[in-house]
Amino acid sequence: MNFTATNTVIIQGITEPLGACYAPLMQAYGTTVVAGISSGNGGRSLAGIPVFDMVEQALSSVGAIDTSVIFSPPYAALDAALEAIAAGVRTIILVSQGVPPLDMVHLIRKAEATETLIVGPNSPGIIVPHQLLLGIHPPELYKPGSVGILSRNGTLTYEVAWSLSQAGIGQSIAVSIGDDAIVGSTLPQWLQMLDEDDQTDAIVLVGEIGGDSEELAAHYIAEAIDKPVIAYIAGRSAPRGRRMGHAGAIIESQATDFGPDIGTAESKITALKRAGVPVAERPSEIPEIVRKLLKHPLKKVS
Amino acid sequence: MDLLEYQAKELFRDAGIPVPAYQRIDRPADLKSLTIPYPIAIKSQVYMGGRGRLGGVRMASNTIDAIAAAHTIFNLPIMGELPKVLLAEAKFEIDQELYLAVVLNRSIRRPVLLGSAQGGIDVQTAIAQMQQVVVDQEFSPFYARRLVLKMGLSGDLLNAVTDVIERMYRLFLNKDLDLVEINPLAVNTAGEVMALDGKVSANDAALGRHPALAALDMRSGQGATLKESRPPGAAWLPDVLSTVDPDGQIGVLANGAGLTMATMDLVCQAGGKPLNCLNIGGETRSDALPEDLCERLEQGLELLSRNKQIKVILVNIVSGTLPCSRVTQAIAKFLQRPVSIVRSVNSPHDEVRLSRVKPFPSLVVRLVGVQLQEAELSLAKTPAIFVEDLDQAITQTLSLVRKREP
Repeated sequence: MNFTATNTVIIQGITEPLGACYAPLMQAYGTTVVAGISSGNGGRSLAGIPVFDMVEQALSSVGAIDTSVIFSPPYAALDAALEAIAAGVRTIILVSQGVPPLDMVHLIRKAEATETLIVGPNSPGIIVPHQLLLGIHPPELYKPGSVGILSRNGTLTYEVAWSLSQAGIGQSIAVSIGDDAIVGSTLPQWLQMLDEDDQTDAIVLVGEIGGDSEELAAHYIAEAIDKPVIAYIAGRSAPRGRRMGHAGAIIESQATDFGPDIGTAESKITALKRAGVPVAERPSEIPEIVRKLLKHPLKKVS
Repeated sequence: MDLLEYQAKELFRDAGIPVPAYQRIDRPADLKSLTIPYPIAIKSQVYMGGRGRLGGVRMASNTIDAIAAAHTIFNLPIMGELPKVLLAEAKFEIDQELYLAVVLNRSIRRPVLLGSAQGGIDVQTAIAQMQQVVVDQEFSPFYARRLVLKMGLSGDLLNAVTDVIERMYRLFLNKDLDLVEINPLAVNTAGEVMALDGKVSANDAALGRHPALAALDMRSGQGATLKESRPPGAAWLPDVLSTVDPDGQIGVLANGAGLTMATMDLVCQAGGKPLNCLNIGGETRSDALPEDLCERLEQGLELLSRNKQIKVILVNIVSGTLPCSRVTQAIAKFLQRPVSIVRSVNSPHDEVRLSRVKPFPSLVVRLVGVQLQEAELSLAKTPAIFVEDLDQAITQTLSLVRKREP
């Protein structure tokens, strides 16, 4: 895992409202933003960032590119990501929500073949406190430290980061894999990366109902993760969703080993506890549990 | 978005999948101008499953019987749902029934082909013999052949069913579907195949690039005017709030799905009953700006306060780029809105001064972000209660509900 301030970063969709808003913020945080991409706007610049029509043009002008943060509209996201991969970019953050799932299937096949890491879509991206911002995390809520936050959501991730920061527990990295049905990287993939990361001593997993990511993560933690993991699951009180009465949905849930309750808070919490992962009842409990697990002396809030 | 059977069959027919001759019936009298030969099946067009067992499918061999059957089915609710349309369909002699589906599996992040040699109305039997093939790379017909062989089919039928699956997959891909299901795919003694019933679910996120599919949505249409009257930044908020606890007295408003659920969980864990929970998030929309949150907040408060059962609204906003003082400005603006035009009829000149000095629901506001002190100050002039800590906000909300109980 190599997310540092020396990473060279481009922003695709830099002239979209969200891109134009966050490009200067990422730069101000210390991220090395070398170029913006927006077809039809080549030759212009935004907050001092040179804008190119295509990624390959930026490549010849600014040199090697490590990462692309994509703010393109959802139906243009696949094309933007394929363009970045074609230009040799191997880390891609998809911020925009609403990317069609079959576009993601296409992109994931390409990413697997080229060993490209995809984060998102519908994700605030990655923050390494005081180092690097790849996306839209609010830096004010984070402080440097040794806890890695891994989540599927946006503002709830910030909430957890804030409660840790307030308790004097800093973070090595926070990454949200995104909240859409099909996302580019999985919780197990990131658990492995955080397990191998020298800066990370403990992992806080912020999950929510729906899908089977947390169940798969629990299995993976039991098998392969050595660092302490603490979890929180949102949606315990959510009303049960309507079950589709067709065989496709039924077989889809039976195809996995987790039984018919898959996706519920109970299913996730049970799986995590079975894997030896303490599950916080509420966000404010997380710092306490982290501290116990790390046997950290109580630090004063700066 | 789910499609009705006749809509699915239209897609099947266009994709070259064999379907029986059929006709859409909007009223029983339409059967007088039937162009397909008797005997026919008349089928209720509803989104709910189980219509076959509930009498929603009837056979008829002449016009009189058909009209009587249509009358019955039009008045027969299927799991509470009355059909707006029926389907009249030519009868097909069945020798064997197969189950086929293409579905997107979010766990393995690939489309999966499903097939069972035992299709038909008994879904459990179909499931017991279900075979599946994961389309891990770009689709090619061999994936379909692989499935059909696993289903135990051979000879001409192998090729005929492979062809149907290939067409199903192309349809799935071209129209961005979540599911294409044919059950049953009937086989007659001559070995001909026919899709007798089918289900198609279109992916909601992709509907914007399939206007023809989006136009098939029979369930929406209400609330369009409400949406148009909204500021652009708030256009996508729901028109109708879903109910969490019908006896609830608390409205939860937060930004982001995870945060909304977490806030709702805390309310419930503390013994509170949320009536509605509203997520006004949307920070990852490429066309939105952080300050659009203010419009959605005002609209969201309006939506929640419309329900007089709500005694306390808990606002939990974890703000990114937007300073908290901007969030509280939006709240203050909402609180200063004229209560209603109706009240001002007697003294029209007082209209502007009629503000929500005492809003019907109490407001507990909990914020995380920058400029928190300014935010707290700006709320001090309003009836809203500002709390910094989330757990305290929950306690405050519940104690306000108790105070306001009769």
